[in-house]
Amino acid sequence: MIGKVEVKPLPKVDLPPLRQVGRPLRRVDALGKAVGSTVYAADFSMPNMLHAKVLRSPVPSGRIVGLNVDRARSIPGVACVLTARDLPGAKLSTDMPGQTGRKERAGSAAPVLARDVVRFQGEPIALVAAEMEEIAEEAIGAIELEMEETPGVFDPEEALKPGAPKVYGDDNVVARWKIRKGDVEKGMAEADLIVENTFRMPFVEHAYLEPEAGVAWVDDQGVINIRVCTQVVEHFRSVAKALGIPQNKVRIRGTMVGGGFGGKEDVTVEIFLALLARETGRPVKLVYTREESFVAQSKRHPFVITHRTGVKRDGRITAAKIDMIADSGAYPYLTPYVLLYATAMATGPYRIENVSVDSVAAATNQPFTSAFRGFGGPQAALAYEQQMDEIAKAVGLDPLTVRRANYLRRGDETATGQRIASEVWLEETVTRAIAGLGEPTPSSKTRKVGRGFASYFQSYGRITWFHDTSRAWVGLELDGTATIRCGVPDIGAGQANSLCQIASELLGVPLERVTVYATDSAVTPLAGTSTATRQLYMSGHAVHKAASAVRKNLLDRAAVHFGVGPDAVDLADGRAFVKGDESRSIGLDELASPCAADGIPLSTLALFTAPFTDGIDPETGQGDIWPDFTFGAQAVEVAVDIETGQVEVLKSVACHDVGRAINPAAVRGQIIGGSHQGLGYALMEEYIVKDGITQTPSLAEYLVPTSCDFPATEAIILESGSGVGPFGAKGIGEPALTPAAPAVANAVADAIGIRIHEVPITPERVLAAMKRGARWRG
Amino acid sequence: MTLPKFELHRPESLDEALDILASSPGAVPIAGGTALIVDMRGRRLSPPVLVDIGLIDRLSGVRIEGGEVVIGAATTIAEIKESDLIAQHSPLLSEACGLFASPSVRNRATIGGNIAYASPAADTAPPLLALDASVELASASGRRTVPIDRFFLGVRRTERRDDELITAIRFPIPAEGTEGRFRKLGLRRADAISVVSAAVSIGPPADGGRRVRIALGAVAPTPIRARRAEEALSAGPIDEGAILAAAEAAASEASPVSDLRGSDWYRREAIRALVRRLLRPVVEGRSDG
Repeated sequence: MIGKVEVKPLPKVDLPPLRQVGRPLRRVDALGKAVGSTVYAADFSMPNMLHAKVLRSPVPSGRIVGLNVDRARSIPGVACVLTARDLPGAKLSTDMPGQTGRKERAGSAAPVLARDVVRFQGEPIALVAAEMEEIAEEAIGAIELEMEETPGVFDPEEALKPGAPKVYGDDNVVARWKIRKGDVEKGMAEADLIVENTFRMPFVEHAYLEPEAGVAWVDDQGVINIRVCTQVVEHFRSVAKALGIPQNKVRIRGTMVGGGFGGKEDVTVEIFLALLARETGRPVKLVYTREESFVAQSKRHPFVITHRTGVKRDGRITAAKIDMIADSGAYPYLTPYVLLYATAMATGPYRIENVSVDSVAAATNQPFTSAFRGFGGPQAALAYEQQMDEIAKAVGLDPLTVRRANYLRRGDETATGQRIASEVWLEETVTRAIAGLGEPTPSSKTRKVGRGFASYFQSYGRITWFHDTSRAWVGLELDGTATIRCGVPDIGAGQANSLCQIASELLGVPLERVTVYATDSAVTPLAGTSTATRQLYMSGHAVHKAASAVRKNLLDRAAVHFGVGPDAVDLADGRAFVKGDESRSIGLDELASPCAADGIPLSTLALFTAPFTDGIDPETGQGDIWPDFTFGAQAVEVAVDIETGQVEVLKSVACHDVGRAINPAAVRGQIIGGSHQGLGYALMEEYIVKDGITQTPSLAEYLVPTSCDFPATEAIILESGSGVGPFGAKGIGEPALTPAAPAVANAVADAIGIRIHEVPITPERVLAAMKRGARWRG
Repeated sequence: MTLPKFELHRPESLDEALDILASSPGAVPIAGGTALIVDMRGRRLSPPVLVDIGLIDRLSGVRIEGGEVVIGAATTIAEIKESDLIAQHSPLLSEACGLFASPSVRNRATIGGNIAYASPAADTAPPLLALDASVELASASGRRTVPIDRFFLGVRRTERRDDELITAIRFPIPAEGTEGRFRKLGLRRADAISVVSAAVSIGPPADGGRRVRIALGAVAPTPIRARRAEEALSAGPIDEGAILAAAEAAASEASPVSDLRGSDWYRREAIRALVRRLLRPVVEGRSDG
């Protein structure tokens, strides 16, 4: 078990004092959620609206030999039935959406509806719109679909073998990446010991509270409007492309999203709705059931990761050779980027001179895989952090000593040669997480207590060669209230609130007097995707920039009013005032009038651009990939019932350097929620697919943790102020999940003395591992 | 997803309900609907007629009647969990109802429905088997009582005829000094279908041995009594050796399947652990142990 750790005082950080930012204010979206007045995508209805349903393939690999919709079309109340034959060539763009300045990857598109070949269970084949949901369902049942099953491939390693059934391209290879740094052979030769382990991770379902939903209609300008829950309003471009219409004829009106986690980063219901609305000229609504949501959308990538690490007796790593195989499922979607992420993170937050990583993603006749909170980072961390504990065991040192011998430091280079410019608080976070566990809980005869921890790093912001941008409009109204227009999808993490708090800080307008219009592709300036832990960084800066411009105008005009220099004036609590003499003040409403009279702009549209880089070297993987990184750690204490194999999480403490917490209550929420999701990944979540058919088709079989299952993770928030986000912020949305699962895996191994190399660590796997262990020791 | 079409009857008296069941082929009684509606949504069941028994007063509540505890079939799991009578006479049933699904399901689901549905993993079944309960059935043509260990015929198959309604579950008030406990092993702490469940009830020493009941859930096509395990404890001292023998016997009497929730191997391991754990505190709390 991990011993006591010394927690050193934090390095001195000079954070400028702020009034609104940094306070745990009640989020602008809190009340609506608490009282149930927030309107989600499935809540909208329109007069004369039709209801849509999707016919999906029952088989994972097959040919459509007959598809007759005549009977379905003839059912009274059926307005429209569409198949691939009605939409020649319509493709669904699955590549990185938004204004990336990059061309779509060749071969990355998927059919909107399958025409001849079906590659996964649940692949859409036909669409129905009818007067009532019941009639639409009846029509789906009346479609005569004849399929001939063809041999499929259900394992990525099998898919890469010669002669495997072809799912994608000539060889099923969806992507490959490699990293070559230093000289691995030399590094291995210098090692005292070589430690090798293979780790496995399953498909995981996002299981957000809100299944995919939307309503579409054609307005009086001929624009197709789609009200939908999405992480990406810029999918209006994909919709336009699929329908063969101009991009300015599609408008996405995003709603508050009931959870995204990457699952609403890809197109969901938008194209189906647009096609049906165009065809019928009537509003159409489509709401997935939970069961449909499971088969229709992406999963977290299963990975098999093998680490071969050369290590000195003192714990210093001399070389790392890492192999990764990921399951792309039937179509590419974001697999190449997820694989890149896992590849670049493969070594963990450690300084290793000699690195070789080879990764490959193969297509199979399984659910397609794409973005999921952490984007390949959690899989990489499950492998590198378990490997660190195994290294410690092999050299006979404690796990923290081994990590300390290898932790990255500020200014060091990652495995891809990217220099880390911000603070690297690995020591600071890990010691606090471990110390937070307090006194150890004693074991009993049948209940073995163990402790484990994991350090990690995750990027925030998109891949820098995508040339990412965000825009925001900030304005002061004549009554002293403030308005933000910024196309940020709020997926429940407080994205919109953070923008409000930043504007509130800079304009001196109280938070409750700030209104934000978000997530409408036609009227809010495009802010990019709510993915990649990028919105605070990107749109936070855009709002900061726009609000700062308005602030400057207000300060200048107030300075004239007070007859002082602009530097002598400040804004707070809805007023402009002379610093040090707050009796000399003027309400922002009063100040707005002379500004308007003088033609001084009280609103600005600002553009923020992330650092733009070129791509990495394809042969060596060397180059910059992300704007910056978040560092942190989590420690857990578990009790393993050695007779039933059940694992109970007794304590969980996470410590992250978030740079600067814009709203500490929201940060804490992200940490607790991300941790809970990660603990579920460690102990119970597995989307089981057998021969391409899901075995966990609903929430009765696919278990996610309830509030009873784990204690709330204690969140320790550190603020180095060194991030590249506004006010020195880093990102926490995705990072919050990453260290939980490896910490649990290490704690279980500590408790029972046996490593279980796959997640979830189910009671049966624990018991089976202990039986095997007993036999070996026999 | 919508429900298949059905005709709904809401009788206010038992006789009316029984008449409908007798005259409507394919009619299915519905109480809480926590299992039936799920199956109808998934199109696994499409009964043409549903008979909602929720308006019939006499069907719910817990009472004592002639030395027996009688639980109306439409009594909810939450009501049983909260019942003082149940807590006093059969704490193992209270325990089982406290571990049943989740609070929202417990507020709807009924004991009659849980038994009628005949899932091998029904959480009220092992306690009822351990309590020697019987099932009261009524139809337009008469009434009968079936011991619960003969009520379950297979996975989702029971003694109940289509025209019959379960009206009550009853069991003799256990003798003074009877100890009973229930445990379930699920893959999470709430809203989890049992991987294995077990109930034990051990009576005070009497001439010719003691009354021992060990019942298991989710380890055979129906909830079962582990009779050989019971025999291992019915005579002689209940010591660690007897407990281990009983646990071993229980594991061998089970015929578990391998499914998503666990393999047959794991289920047998879990039975051993559960039975041992249920018996040890019973023994420790007694003078004759």
